Order: sequence, then C-alpha cells, then structure tokens
Amino acid sequence: MKLKTTHCKEIDILNLSDKELLDLSKNNVLSLSLEEMKTIQDYYKNLKRNPTDIEIETIAQTWSEHCKHKTLTGIIDYLEISPQKKIHKQYNNLLKETIFKATMELKKKWCLSVFEDNAGIIDFDDKNAIAFKVETHNHPSALEPYGGSATGIGGVIRDILGVGLGAKPLANTDVFCFGKPNTPPKKVPNGMHHPKRIIGGVVSGVRDYGNRMGIPTVNGSVYFDDGYMANPLVFCGTMGIIPKNKIAKKTRAGDLVLVAGGRTGRDGIHGATFSSVELNKESDVSAVQIGNPIVEKKVLDAMLKARDLNLYRAVTDCGAGGLSSAVGELGENTGVEIDLKKVPLKYDGLRAWEIWISEAQERMVFAVPPKNKEKIIEIFAKENVEAVFIGVFTKDKKLKISYDGDLIADMDMSFLHKGVPKITRRAICEIKNEFEQKTIKMNSSEILKSLKKVLEDLNVCSKEWIIRQYDHEVQGQTIIKPLQGNNIEVSGPGDAAVIFPYTVVKGTKKAIVLSNGLNPEYGKINAYKMAASAIEEAIRNAVCVGGNIEKISLLDNFCWGNTDKEEILGSLIRAAKACYDFSKSFSIPFISGKDSLHNEYSIGQKKYSIPPALLISAMGVIENVSNTLTMPFKKEKNKVFILGLTRNELGGSVFSKINSIKDGVVPNVYPKESKPIMKKIYQAINKSLIESCHDISDGGLAAAVSEMAFSAGIGVKIDIDKVKIKGKMSPAEILFSQSNGRFVVEVDAKNEKKFRSLFKGTVFSQVGLTGGKDVVFESVKNKIKVMENPKKLMSSWQKTLQDI
Amino acid sequence: MYKIEIKTKENFRDARGEYYLYEIISMGFDNVKKVKYCPLYIIKGDISDGEAEIIARQLLIDEITEDYSIKKENEILSPIKVGGAIEVWYKKGVTDTVAQSVQKAVKDLGIDKKIEVNTGHKYYLFGDISDEDLALMAEKLFANTLIQGYEIENHALQRN
Repeated sequence: MKLKTTHCKEIDILNLSDKELLDLSKNNVLSLSLEEMKTIQDYYKNLKRNPTDIEIETIAQTWSEHCKHKTLTGIIDYLEISPQKKIHKQYNNLLKETIFKATMELKKKWCLSVFEDNAGIIDFDDKNAIAFKVETHNHPSALEPYGGSATGIGGVIRDILGVGLGAKPLANTDVFCFGKPNTPPKKVPNGMHHPKRIIGGVVSGVRDYGNRMGIPTVNGSVYFDDGYMANPLVFCGTMGIIPKNKIAKKTRAGDLVLVAGGRTGRDGIHGATFSSVELNKESDVSAVQIGNPIVEKKVLDAMLKARDLNLYRAVTDCGAGGLSSAVGELGENTGVEIDLKKVPLKYDGLRAWEIWISEAQERMVFAVPPKNKEKIIEIFAKENVEAVFIGVFTKDKKLKISYDGDLIADMDMSFLHKGVPKITRRAICEIKNEFEQKTIKMNSSEILKSLKKVLEDLNVCSKEWIIRQYDHEVQGQTIIKPLQGNNIEVSGPGDAAVIFPYTVVKGTKKAIVLSNGLNPEYGKINAYKMAASAIEEAIRNAVCVGGNIEKISLLDNFCWGNTDKEEILGSLIRAAKACYDFSKSFSIPFISGKDSLHNEYSIGQKKYSIPPALLISAMGVIENVSNTLTMPFKKEKNKVFILGLTRNELGGSVFSKINSIKDGVVPNVYPKESKPIMKKIYQAINKSLIESCHDISDGGLAAAVSEMAFSAGIGVKIDIDKVKIKGKMSPAEILFSQSNGRFVVEVDAKNEKKFRSLFKGTVFSQVGLTGGKDVVFESVKNKIKVMENPKKLMSSWQKTLQDI
Repeated sequence: MYKIEIKTKENFRDARGEYYLYEIISMGFDNVKKVKYCPLYIIKGDISDGEAEIIARQLLIDEITEDYSIKKENEILSPIKVGGAIEVWYKKGVTDTVAQSVQKAVKDLGIDKKIEVNTGHKYYLFGDISDEDLALMAEKLFANTLIQGYEIENHALQRN
C-alpha cells in the first residue's frame, strides 16, 4: 500500500548532504546525530522513498537518549590515569558490563524481573512480589517546578502501574537537589527561577500529586548545592505490590490496542528540547506537561480491577515519546496497526505526528484479546475512565499508522528498535591522590560551634517543612516514618521507612523497607567513592530500621553533566564501576535504574555541568514487622556503642565545608568490615538486643549521637577516647569524620553480654551511656569537654528551613 | 461569558494572601501592606444568569468563609481600588485540570449544557506600587510566564 500525504508531510531526506541532514535534525528538534541521520537515509534509500514526518518523529523518539540509553549502552573508549598507572579499556555496553553484570553474576533467586520491565521486581512472599522504580524529571521541573515535579511523580506511579500486568502502588519516595534557598537574587541566571521558587513549586507538585493519589510519600532526602541552581534534580520513586502470577506479559497478534485515561493534547511535544524563548503569549504552550492526579487515580482503580479479571495480556504506560514509545514497546515482537483518528483529543487541530508523540499525562496502553473487548470498556466506564481501541497487534513485525483511512507510516519494527547505530565515545578519568588535611586542633567551644553549624547545615538540618506537607500515613501501612521522636515535642531524622502491607496481603507479618543514599559532595572529588558511599549509605539506612542485607535490592539513578565531554563521561564510568564492585562485594543486586545525562546549563556564554549525582535507592523485605527500630534513644542508663572503625576521612565532609578545610580523604567503603556488622545488626534486632540504631553519615558521629539524643529528649555522655580509630586523630577529627560502615547503637545493660558475644570479631566499642540533661562529648586525654542541652541542639537542627 | 471572582469574607483568614505578602516582603518590597487573594473563573457557554449564580454558590465557594461576585461580558465590576492588582491566567493550550473538574461538576449539578471553563488568580496588593514593581512581582512570584500570562491594574498610580 502506498503512503498518502493528506494528513502528513513527506520529508525529503534521500538527496540531502551531511550538512543538510544535520540541519534537518536540528530544525525539527530531532536530536539525532549525523551518523543516525545517515542510517535513516540509507534505510529509506533501500525503500526507494522519502519518510513521512510521523515516521521521522517516531524514529527520533525511539532512538532518543531517554528511550535507548545510547551513552550507557554504546561503545566507550576509556582511559584511566592515576599517579601509579594508566588503564585503557573499551566498553561495548557499559551498563551490561558493570551494573547489570553484577546482578547476573549474583544470580539471586528472589530477583523476579530485572532491567527489562518498567520497574525492578523482587520476591515478597509465596504469592506476591514488590516492584520499585525511581525516575528523574529535571528539565521540566526547572521550567515549571509545580507541573514538572507533579508529572514526575505521576510518571513513576504509572511505571509501577505498567510493570508486569500492573502493581498496586504502596509508597512514594522523593529526592531533590536544589540551589540554596538563600541565594541572592542577583546570582540567579537570567530567565531562571530563583531556587526558593523552584523548591516551593517542586515540593507542592509532589505533595499534591502523591497526596491526591492516596499514596504515602515515606522516604527521601534533599541536597543543596549552588551547582543545582539552574538545573535542579528531581528524583521520584514508587514502590508497589503485584501478585506473582501477574508479572509476565506478552502481546499476541490479534490483540487490540486500547488506550485509557487522559486525553491527548499538545502536552510535552519535544518536551526535553524546547526553549522558552520560542514561546510567546499567542503561541500554544505545547512543551509543558500538567498532571491530573484524579484521572490517574481512576485509571489505577479501574485497571487493577481489569487485571484481576485477566482482561488484558500486556500493559505499559505512556511516558516519554507518548503513544509512539508505548505502542512500539508492546508491539515490538509482533507488529501493530494504529488508526490515529480514534485517539480521543483534548482539542482539535493536532497534526497526526503530534498525536503520536504527545506526552499528555495519565495514559496507559493495553493489549486486549478481542473476546474481552466489551467487558474491559465496561470496567473503565464504571470508573469514569475514557478508554478507546485505536488499533490491533499484527504478526508482520511492522509499524503501520493510518489516519482517516490513509496510511501515513509503514516501517519495520526491527529497524525502529534495533537499527540505531552504536556510537563510540571517548572517556578519560584522571585519578588524583587524596591527602589527609593538616591536623585539626580545636578547643571545646570551637567543637561545639562546629557541631551546631553542622546541624544547621542545609544538607543535615531538619526537612520537616517538606516532610509535613506530604501525607506519609495514607493507606495506614507506614510503620517506620520519616520523622521520629519519643514525644510530640521532639523529632529526629529516621534512617529509612518501613511499610507493612497488611491491607493488601492478609495475615502477613512481612514488611518492606525503603531507603536511599546520595552524596554529590564526594563526587566532586572522587566519583568512585561517591558511588561506593551512596551504595553503602542506602544499605546502612535500611539495616538501621531492621532490614536484612540478604534481601535488599538497589536502584541506580545517574544524573550527570554533559557526557560528550570526555572527563565527565570518565567520572560516570568510575561510578558505574563502583556499582559493579560493591554490588558484588555486598552481594546486593541492582534491579532497575535510569540515567539523565546532559544536565548542563548556561550562564551568559559559559556552559556549566551539574555536580554528578548518583542516587542509590534500596528496597528490602523484612521478615517480621515487629522487629523494626527507630533511631531515638529509648531510655536513660543504656549503653551506647559505636560499631565500625573511624578513619581520618574528612574529604567532602560537612565539617570540612563549613570550616573551609582543604584536602582530606574521601570516605572509602570496606565491605569486609561493614558487611559482617550489618548482618549482626539484623540478628541483634531480631533477638531484641538493640534498643535503637542510627547510621553515621553527614556530620559524623557527633551529629548522629546528637540526633539520637535530641529526638529522645534525653542526654548522653560519650567518651571520645574510647572510639575505635585508625591511626592518630584529634577529637574534632574523630567527631566529624564521615567514615562509612559505622553505626551508633543503644543497648540495655541486661543485654550487654549477649550483644558483645554476638559482635565478637568485628570492630566495636562501648563509648558512653544515655542519660543526664546534656549531650556530652569528652576526651580526658585531650582536655576536651563539649556540653550542650539536647533541646538547644535540636533547635539548631530545626531552625534552618523554618527561617526561610 | 461570566467571570466569577471569589473573595474570602472579611473576618476569615486569607492564608494564601498572607503567604504571598510574606514572599513579597522577603523579595524586598516593603511598600506592600496587604495581599488579598481571589480565585477567578470564566465560564463560557449557553447558560443563564441564574445558572451562573447556582454554579458560583453551590460549586465554587464555601458559603461560610467565602463570597463571590459575577461579571457578565462587557460589564465592569467595581474593583477594589486600593493599589495594584495582578490577574494570572493560563496560556492557550496549557492543560487546566481545575477547569476540567469544574466542567464535570457543572454537569453533575444538573446543568447539562456545553460550557468552557478557564481558571485564573487575582492578587490585590494594598499600597503604593509602581507598574515596574508589579510586573517584577508578577514574573518572579505570581505567574510562571512559560505557561501563564498576567495583566496588571494599578489604581495607586491613577489616584496620584
């Protein structure tokens, strides 16, 4: 059948020169490279015809970095230079050779679906599994913070709805990187929103979408750095539960294509690449996506009903690339014929290709066996959800699109999905030696001043202003919550959240732990250690509340600068390598991930890349929900232990930043030391030998101990001389070092003997006692005694964001 | 066309107005003494005056804390002449989810006519404020010009 051009345009490509091909890509916001354009040209030369606009747009969407991860799966020529040696290596698929490889080698039987579906899935109990996914929505959030973050959370919820045959969302997480809220307005680049406006918009966007969907937002973190002023990072995550027999999906030829949910408009067309300059008062605002949680909630309710009646064979969500990606994904192995005239529209006047690639929100695409045609429409209608059949899956492995009876696209699925040429990129990483800082000599009052400044620091301080806007209780299953305190007047930062899904899984005792790790400050010095530290921090956080490291899985989210630059891609490779190394050494698999590269912004003529950020999110299964812990001290006269070795590791620490200390070694990760400790903590919690447990990270042990004390409203006395250290360290260095692998735990005197014998063979020491009216850190040897009332420390911790 | 403006009654707290006052002051404009926030709705379609009243009273306001005024096409509603005012509306093509809900709710009220709804926001700023400052506040605080347009009224200057 010949293509007709009543409803589309023919794009002349056959006779274009290299320069003209590149211009075509640029002028139509296709973001395709010359090599890719030439591959397309060759394909159509073989067909002896020009492509239509909708065909070119489909290829551009399918081959986009967002959908195909061309950088992480492409060829990379990598050179690593350290003072000791040079390593030259070629990666043919970085993802498969690092993160994915670790998962394959670990061969965990409880990993049910990894790196293939919309989310990673692991085993929960004999009948159910749990799925977790974290996405980023950075660029839209920079331009329209409220809509950008709302559609970020809306999108990741749909990933959970679109995993397998659909999981029921149980909890959301969110992690943000912002510029500092107190940035002087003059420092904000022209045309950008002030960080304060971005923060307000992003937080309310996540709040409104999550709360209205009836999904609790239970875990997250916020990181402030000037480097994110013009390019904030917005990570949104959702965890859901799915019956094990609903994980497999397979489209069959003859199944009908059903689109359900929101209507299609010009929302988000070329969303990632448009420029605000092009928009004026009269122009249609096509690039901005606005979310409608009420529609998505109805889709959720209706589709789970249809799922349980086995009315469809496959489902996926409309995300980036819209119908083009979603339908393409479901029909990749069959073929599909679509009639775009049938797609319900918000308003008239959309061109065919716009309908096809629109990123309008709240839409899901299903493969429905013809016999269920009426039944499924009836179910959606009952929930007031618009659902329309727009085509049929075929067996010719072709994508055929028609509009009003005219055929406007006819392409091979194999070319669309496998035709993208592999790009070769070069990467370089120069590893510098790190040196210990000059010994830090501080007297007691200087140490106290530093402690308060650390607690006040934007990256340590209380995020209560944000957390309290979120509903973290809806569904009634949040057992361990984000803010923890022994009474209503005190609070401290919980390490991780625990969800007890007793309303979905009747009679269960099991629970799900969610946590995260992130530290871009380390990444400015050493990307490898940043990744290693983020992995361990996420795991440690989960362990603190009762997580079992034998049953924890990880997600990676890379947000990097412009990876066309060799040294930026080089740091990404180092981080990916750390993911492999530590996934293997902790025996904890990655199950899914996402990357957002090219986070670059300009001020004037100069271009800046963001500080690289690797967010590690952890999800684990807890066998018995009763055996979970919060972080505040529980009572007076209990013994305080520090587990793990304190090293002189102040590189990238909060203490170094506030005191402008040069040099310093970035904390490393020592799985041989920390893994046995984490295993034993799990055993200790299950034998009720520990009263409270808190991870030592930002701000070191001084901050961790202070948080446990003020959230309990009681004092504590710590003997600095008893902390197990490596080498020589001054009291300030011991208190503020951010060495990984450490925990503060509280033990009742009656359990001390059992506790000590359990931890035999690991590095630990008793360092103090709870009780008294002050938080005290003392070193008799160095004549140091730091004393402060816990309430005053809490007010330092609480006031920073309250004042903004 | 009906334009409906919702006001918080005098003895009730206008939390959004207070929030914006706080933000304006922290932007450095200490000449603003008070901010009053009023949601706006435009309803186009073949409805009667009475139906517009029903929609405003039964759907758009909370009768205990809020009041409304309705303006018909070409009719000038006496505005609050106190200083500046900024009206913010979505640009064409931007999904207006609140308007969609209103459209559906109007049907649920039993008014089964084809209507089109737009939602907007009006901020009254009490004090003597220049047009330039109003425009700056509109762009930095009240409207995201990527998706929203704004219009400024300035009664303070007229009075001078």
